[in-house]
Amino acid sequence: MIPLTEALLAAITASVPAPTLPVAVEATPVAEMSVYADAVYTGAGETIENAMVVIADGKITAITPGAEPGDEDLHVAAITPGMVDLSARIYPDGYSVEETEEVTPWIRVDLSLDPFSRDWDRQLRNGVTSVVASPYDNNCIGGLSVALKTGGSNSIEARTIKSNVALRGAIGSQPSSKNHPAFGRPTDFYSRRPTTRMGVEWTWRKAMYDALQAEGDKERAFDGLPQLLQALNGDLPVFVQAWATQDIRTAVFLKEEMAGEGKPNMQLIIDAGAEAWREIDFLVRTGTAVVLPPYRASGRTTDGAFFAADCAAKLDEAGVPVALSSHNAKAGGETLGQQAAHARRGGLSFDSALAAVTINPARMVGIDDRVGSIEVGKDADLALWNGTPFELTSRVVGVVLDGELVNDPRK
Amino acid sequence: MKNQKLGTLARTAVATCLAATALTAATNAMPFSDGNIVIKAGQVITLDGEPIENGTIVIENGRITAVGKDIKYPWNAEVKEYPNSVAFPGFVEALTNSGMDRANENIDVAAFLNVKDSIDPVSFYFEDSLRSGVTTLNVQQGGSCVVGGMGYIVKPVGMTVEEMTVQPNSGIAMSAAPKSGKSRATQTLALRQTFDDLRRYLEGVVQEKRDGVDLATREALYQGREADEETSKGRPMGGNGWKVSNLEMIPRWEIDEKKAPLLGIVEGKTAVFFYCSTPGDVQTAIRTAKDNGFLNRTVLCLSSGCWKAADLIKQHNIPVILSSVLTHVERDPVTGEEKETFVPAVFQDKGVRFALRSAGTSGKSLWYQAALCVGHGMTREQALAAVTTTAAEITGLSNRVGSLAPGKDGNVVIFSGDPLSVMSNVEQVVVEGNHVYDRSTDVRMRHLETGAQPENTSAEMETGTPHKHDEPEEKDDKEPDEGENEEEKDDDHEGHEDEEN
Repeated sequence: MIPLTEALLAAITASVPAPTLPVAVEATPVAEMSVYADAVYTGAGETIENAMVVIADGKITAITPGAEPGDEDLHVAAITPGMVDLSARIYPDGYSVEETEEVTPWIRVDLSLDPFSRDWDRQLRNGVTSVVASPYDNNCIGGLSVALKTGGSNSIEARTIKSNVALRGAIGSQPSSKNHPAFGRPTDFYSRRPTTRMGVEWTWRKAMYDALQAEGDKERAFDGLPQLLQALNGDLPVFVQAWATQDIRTAVFLKEEMAGEGKPNMQLIIDAGAEAWREIDFLVRTGTAVVLPPYRASGRTTDGAFFAADCAAKLDEAGVPVALSSHNAKAGGETLGQQAAHARRGGLSFDSALAAVTINPARMVGIDDRVGSIEVGKDADLALWNGTPFELTSRVVGVVLDGELVNDPRK
Repeated sequence: MKNQKLGTLARTAVATCLAATALTAATNAMPFSDGNIVIKAGQVITLDGEPIENGTIVIENGRITAVGKDIKYPWNAEVKEYPNSVAFPGFVEALTNSGMDRANENIDVAAFLNVKDSIDPVSFYFEDSLRSGVTTLNVQQGGSCVVGGMGYIVKPVGMTVEEMTVQPNSGIAMSAAPKSGKSRATQTLALRQTFDDLRRYLEGVVQEKRDGVDLATREALYQGREADEETSKGRPMGGNGWKVSNLEMIPRWEIDEKKAPLLGIVEGKTAVFFYCSTPGDVQTAIRTAKDNGFLNRTVLCLSSGCWKAADLIKQHNIPVILSSVLTHVERDPVTGEEKETFVPAVFQDKGVRFALRSAGTSGKSLWYQAALCVGHGMTREQALAAVTTTAAEITGLSNRVGSLAPGKDGNVVIFSGDPLSVMSNVEQVVVEGNHVYDRSTDVRMRHLETGAQPENTSAEMETGTPHKHDEPEEKDDKEPDEGENEEEKDDDHEGHEDEEN
């Protein structure tokens, strides 16, 4: 709808002769704005009370303490950095996956994302300004994730912060969940491997060893080899969904196994690591980062994994980099800010909760040079709150994205 | 003690028995006293005037006898001191369909049934309610009915329904939303017919009596009913709806026991909890209630989309119980844009009295719902009223629960801090003067928090059936009523399908 209307409008405007008033053509003014808050949580280690965040050309240019807002100024209770969700789970084509093979490291999700999906706006209005979109997890190794903004331009390309930020895959029951063997029934899309959890693990290991053997051997080259090698060499984080203990262990042991094969630099990020609290020692030992799934009151999650309420707190205390995610909270569902509230209830400190939805996830995928904290020179992505952040009694009422007030709290 | 007992149980029986054991544990560890207790807290939020710093609550025989600062109490009283905590009235769950064998009956008109016979005292639901500080629950049949059974107001403490009872026969559930598989037209017709049938029946009985054909008496005897002083007399039809003349000719015990509860509705003796899942249903409910004279006894139980009927509801001054889904999401049929409406704020602005429902138990109980209301701009007083005082009013219990005031039931929740803060916990619960919950001995809570296994129990509790991927997974939080909404489902029937899948 929207692009059509815009195109029409553009066509109409173009066809109307421009008024011939003698207006002096000025240089495009620098888009400047400032937002006042009782407290600015910069996410860079400090909280500044009664401050003003000054923005020009989409970047933060100053954070001024002790500023007095006028009546007309935009003034809120609190400002945090625009939040970052690594597991937003916004997929192209709904919940589908490239089914031609179960290992498709070369597939790029960013080429098929829909910029007009409602999922973006749902994240944006709840203060999430950057997300990582990944291929759906019905493949073992699904492809390349992209980090992008949740709004702004109508083009995915323009919203992209960084392409190919991670190699996405899954360990656990999901990649094999729909598959079945090719015998005994009519052949269809799902007549493929792997059909068990063991098969999933085998597929991962095979892909890794194939890559090791093919390194420097042109005869053995195959599709996806460059991405697998990048991952093995630590140039491309491996972003693996693993809910349950055994799957987290599989991922961590695979990393250690590769270290034994001369590839010690592989970076591992566990996604949806509900049971990571059981494996803290392994995670610390391997320097693995963890993205946690949304809070469940009952603790029960996918693959029978028990998500203890203090999981984030335990990981944080042990020094495991931890991020929270909302899994693309349904409209009316729990937002990323509320996930931070639940994590605090579970014992995570305020500062760590803030980091877990801002700078930690940004660092994990290497976009912290642009987003994740309120610092001069960074993108002007701000979440504006009507009270203390990460309490259920407050929420995001306004959003600044790339210096533009996309959600005005005064309305 | 509980754990030793448990250790001897067969492994397979552990899951089933845990609920029962935990409840007995709570009561065994802290045996029922005589309902006498004195509670001192750093702050007492009474919801009946200003909060009291360093206040004292005196409870005698289960009832509050005094609340204040520096008040006197019997020298031999059991005194509980919580100097760093906040005392708060027990929350009131204005409507629930949980804690029962099943929420819905197959019979369309089942006014003669009573949820009392269906309530399961050892249901995990009650244990979990207590853990969240809910001390009063109005258990009603679910919305998949035309006229449902009689509801019951209970406390989440006790091993029998009798022990749990706060107020028997709290009202009858009715539904303007169609039973599953039926259409709205059928539902509306069924509602009308129910009362037409009643009227015809009553007229028939009167006519028979006049004709000297005493079938009603014979039927009553056949059913084994017996008259008492009250029912042996006939009396004219009450209420302010339609009337059947000469009903005083019929001794009340002779009225068919399947029809008598309906007569109770028409005569205005019984409250009606009327489920509505669309704004149109509100119209149907109001019309039905008006036509049959029970509008002033009606409480509407609304799905979130019903906020659109707020003006109509205000016009008739009917109190409402809101769905657990506080934000109504609507997709513009043309642009596809999503519009979110925070439902409680709409009713607050219109001046309609409303109560909230839990969206699950331990995680998203009434404190959670009230906190969300504050986040959406309501005052703390307004938000707290919807889970305490107003909820008590709507369920007809304002003289007993909802605030801490002399004369009311001794239901007190001790919070570690501000009841609406995500950082506060329910530490202790006192119900009718008995100390029934202590967080420090709550093994289930410890498990949810840290994953720690209670000693001598099976770890099987935590590994249920694996959930499907990427679907909302809090199946345990559901309210098992079909006519009403669940947390996961978009609750209105306006045909919003998820774009995924």
